[in-house]
Amino acid sequence: MKVISSICPGCSIGCGLYLAESKDGEANKMRVLHRKNAAVNEGKLCKFGTQLHTYYEREALNDTVDGSEVEQKEAIKEAKGRLKGMKPDELAFVALPGTVTNEEIVSLVALASEFGCENISFGLERFFRGIPEEARYIIEKGLPFSEVEKASRIILLFVDPFVHYPLLARRVLKAKKKGAKVVEVSFAKNERGIADETVLVEPVGLERIKEKKDLFEDSLIIGELTPYTDLQFFELMLWLNASTSSRLFLLKPFLNSTGAFLPGGNSKRRKDLFEIIDGIERGEIKALYLLETDLAGAMLGDERVTKTVSKLDLLIEQNAFRTPLSSTADITISSEPFFMKRGTIVNIEGRVLEVGGQSEKGLQITESMGKGRTYEEVHEEVKRKLGLAEISEFELAVKRKERSFEMAEPKVEIEERKGGEGYFLWYKTNPFFWNNGIQSKNFVEISPAAMRKLGLFRGDEVVIVQGERKGRMGFKISELPDYLILSESKMSIKPFEGLIAKVEMRRRDCETTQEKINC
Amino acid sequence: MSRCYLAWAKDERIREKGADGGFVTATLVSALETGFIDIALVVAKKSVYEGIPVLTSNPEVVKECAGSLHGAPINLTKYVVEYAAEKRIGLPTKPCDARGIIEQAKRRQVNLDNIFMIGLNCGGTLHPLRMREMAADFYGLDPDSVVKEEIKEGKIFLVSKEAGGKEKETAIKIDELEQKGYGRRDACKSCVTKIPTSSDLACGNWGVPKGEEKKTFVEVLTAKGEAILKNAIDSGYVCIEEAPGEGIEMRRKIEAGMQKLAESWKERIDEVNALSRSGRFDFYVDALKNCIHCGACKEVCPVCACEKEAKCLDMNDERDSYAISMYNVLRIFHLMDSCIHCGQCEDVCPVDIPLTLIQRRFSERMQRHLGYTPGMSVDEKPPLYETELRWNAESMMK
Ligand SMILES: Cc1cc2nc3c(=O)[nH]c(=O)nc-3n(C[C@H](O)[C@H](O)[C@H](O)COP(=O)(O)OP(=O)(O)OC[C@H]3O[C@@H](n4cnc5c(N)ncnc54)[C@H](O)[C@@H]3O)c2cc1C
Ligand code: SF4
Repeated sequence: MKVISSICPGCSIGCGLYLAESKDGEANKMRVLHRKNAAVNEGKLCKFGTQLHTYYEREALNDTVDGSEVEQKEAIKEAKGRLKGMKPDELAFVALPGTVTNEEIVSLVALASEFGCENISFGLERFFRGIPEEARYIIEKGLPFSEVEKASRIILLFVDPFVHYPLLARRVLKAKKKGAKVVEVSFAKNERGIADETVLVEPVGLERIKEKKDLFEDSLIIGELTPYTDLQFFELMLWLNASTSSRLFLLKPFLNSTGAFLPGGNSKRRKDLFEIIDGIERGEIKALYLLETDLAGAMLGDERVTKTVSKLDLLIEQNAFRTPLSSTADITISSEPFFMKRGTIVNIEGRVLEVGGQSEKGLQITESMGKGRTYEEVHEEVKRKLGLAEISEFELAVKRKERSFEMAEPKVEIEERKGGEGYFLWYKTNPFFWNNGIQSKNFVEISPAAMRKLGLFRGDEVVIVQGERKGRMGFKISELPDYLILSESKMSIKPFEGLIAKVEMRRRDCETTQEKINC
Repeated sequence: MSRCYLAWAKDERIREKGADGGFVTATLVSALETGFIDIALVVAKKSVYEGIPVLTSNPEVVKECAGSLHGAPINLTKYVVEYAAEKRIGLPTKPCDARGIIEQAKRRQVNLDNIFMIGLNCGGTLHPLRMREMAADFYGLDPDSVVKEEIKEGKIFLVSKEAGGKEKETAIKIDELEQKGYGRRDACKSCVTKIPTSSDLACGNWGVPKGEEKKTFVEVLTAKGEAILKNAIDSGYVCIEEAPGEGIEMRRKIEAGMQKLAESWKERIDEVNALSRSGRFDFYVDALKNCIHCGACKEVCPVCACEKEAKCLDMNDERDSYAISMYNVLRIFHLMDSCIHCGQCEDVCPVDIPLTLIQRRFSERMQRHLGYTPGMSVDEKPPLYETELRWNAESMMK
């Protein structure tokens, strides 16, 4: 049994844990152990962290060129040659920073610049545009959890911490124990009753939150920022923060969201993830380098991404594991699983954490195509960029300073339900969370009225329809507005407005006898 | 009283590094070197706040792991079950480690004949992060400067490295720390099993006369204990002498005092006692409704022998709209006869459900009623356990 200290890559909290590896005959067996001395989480883990070993048990990626297995050296040489053959504007690099270290990010940025390419995305670029310079820190930096515990008033803005970031929930509970007032602003009441006050908002009335501005005075506002966050809604969050004496803390799904933008930099000319996808769709971007990114797996509506990506002349995937795009990639280059990596990340609180592994394989892939630096050289650059002397999980090395800024009042437009018919589907989580690692629930939550209307009985399933997209799910009855459907699971339904999607819902009919039995 | 000795490691380095004379380490080392056991499970010190379980057949690694880590509240049971079920293993066992292993043996998860439990008396463990806070807030130390810790004479001693490399020792009474919410984990404060009488040997410093430091007081409890001790003496790894009568008496008195204190802690910690009937109900619902079904409490439970197919998981459907889930309700009932109140579940609960208190409130009454204390004797069947009946049914079908 070999026990290694590691970091969970499931979300931006970055919980510490141990992985125990042992031999089970020929096979390696892995188990997660609780590391009670972990500064971030004190040994506590959510569902994903507890089952992290299953995330690492996925099929490993191999090194291939045009579908044939090759030596890694050859795959790297071929990748470099083919990238060189493209014009800088035709290239794009995407690293959704769930399992990417600071060092790998710095290396990728250097690699892209070797090719004169500005199109790099860490998933959240578009939010930097059009906002005051002074507001950028809200995207770049999170907040220490000790600040959450100290807050006297917390607003949960469309965030259910028990679902989204369970390890934050305990901090909110602690604040509450110390006397904090917790207010939730949401489409539906939290079933665990974490809030002292609930301000229910109708999806079409999202705009009206502005009238409730006073609610946000002297508060710590906790929201979430993901690639799917609606831009108007993001501006609304910033506006609420700018126009009240509040602090805004945005949670992010990717482990190294903070590390990505600090050492990785963020020039305003960089393309955003969706702009890159649109660029591919329009034929402007012809080559895509995916670093540790399961693009199709993570996005809602995989088929569209798969179709779009098939338009590329060159798809290079560098990953530890196979993804749905691996079989169509022109070149695949295998890296090591996250826990084996030598490198650092920055968690949402601003702690710089060592991943715990010793392997430099992933870093050396990009370095061997780019500047050819050693780990130490890249690591020094990371330290310089973060202003670090020493690395300790007990230090909050990346500090944030609250700044005031001005924001124009934003407009938030949500399409009305036609004639009051249909439903709004609210994704209570997002597909990037937990690196698309586990499907958490196989049911959606609906109101008792919706259950009666659709004639549902226990064990039935519902079909949720959005144009050509369909999702099939079990259901649970919750105290919800009649028109609302809540989902904690990924479906192929796309949230048009970042938060919600207009959908139809019906009872799943069982045609054949076998189907009836299965129903 | 079984046979009691004062014992120590012959090897001066082991004796020096060991918590109280290195007897435990020397015994494990000799058992490995003579082939008496195949493997040892010990705890490696990463810092005073962190201990990592190590399964090894290398005696040098065992030597490195000598010493007691009070800030490493781990339970070793599941490591034995998972990694050493087939091997002859020796390990140090705090009372809760030993009790967990005994419960697993009853459930046929381990073969007790292959397990040599070198018991450690235990006054309790501290949560490592609370210990860091304690070092900073009460001892005025930089937590990272603390290089040694020790619990003796009712005090917690912290040794820090000062500028210039000099070491400084600071001691504060445990009582004083605990009045202020620091010190030992709640589960340890209220644990009454202070001497691991279900182990093969019970080792500790209680009963070692003043001036005789660097000796371990050893009580031999089983034939296996006698065998591993004999092996250590015969192979020249440990020295022993008869324990003095006043030492035996002193140990008994300290144990009784600690047990009394633990009983009083049970009362103090139990905030539910003061609540009305409906207040109690609200307390349980409020606490348990926060469960996120991560399953961590089940994973770490030293008594639970269920695997992926378990009543608590199978009979719980997250689609049910109950305020608290069947998962928790089933776990409470399932563990009612067997919970050893070690607090591992609470340690890992991501939403801080006071599971030790809740389990204790249900199980202690049940265990008292049934006259059953789990983890103390492998011959006592858990009263609510049905396996023997199933075995009978199976043999009837043959
Ligand atoms: C948490 C704790 C509390 C204790 N409290 C008391 C007490 O109140 N009264 C008393 O008389 N004795 C107590 N002891 C026992 C005492 O500290 C010595 O371990 C014992 O006297 C044997 O000394 P030794 O030199 O022979 O052990 P050593 O040769 O030093 O061997 C000790 C062994 O224990 C292992 N170990 C260290 N930390 C842990 C841990 N947290 N859990 C499991 N194994 C561990 C080490 O890896 C090593 O193998 C306690 C021990 C521990 C670990
Ligand atoms: S997913 Fe996030 S909250 Fe869950 S264990 Fe991993 S880092 Fe912690």
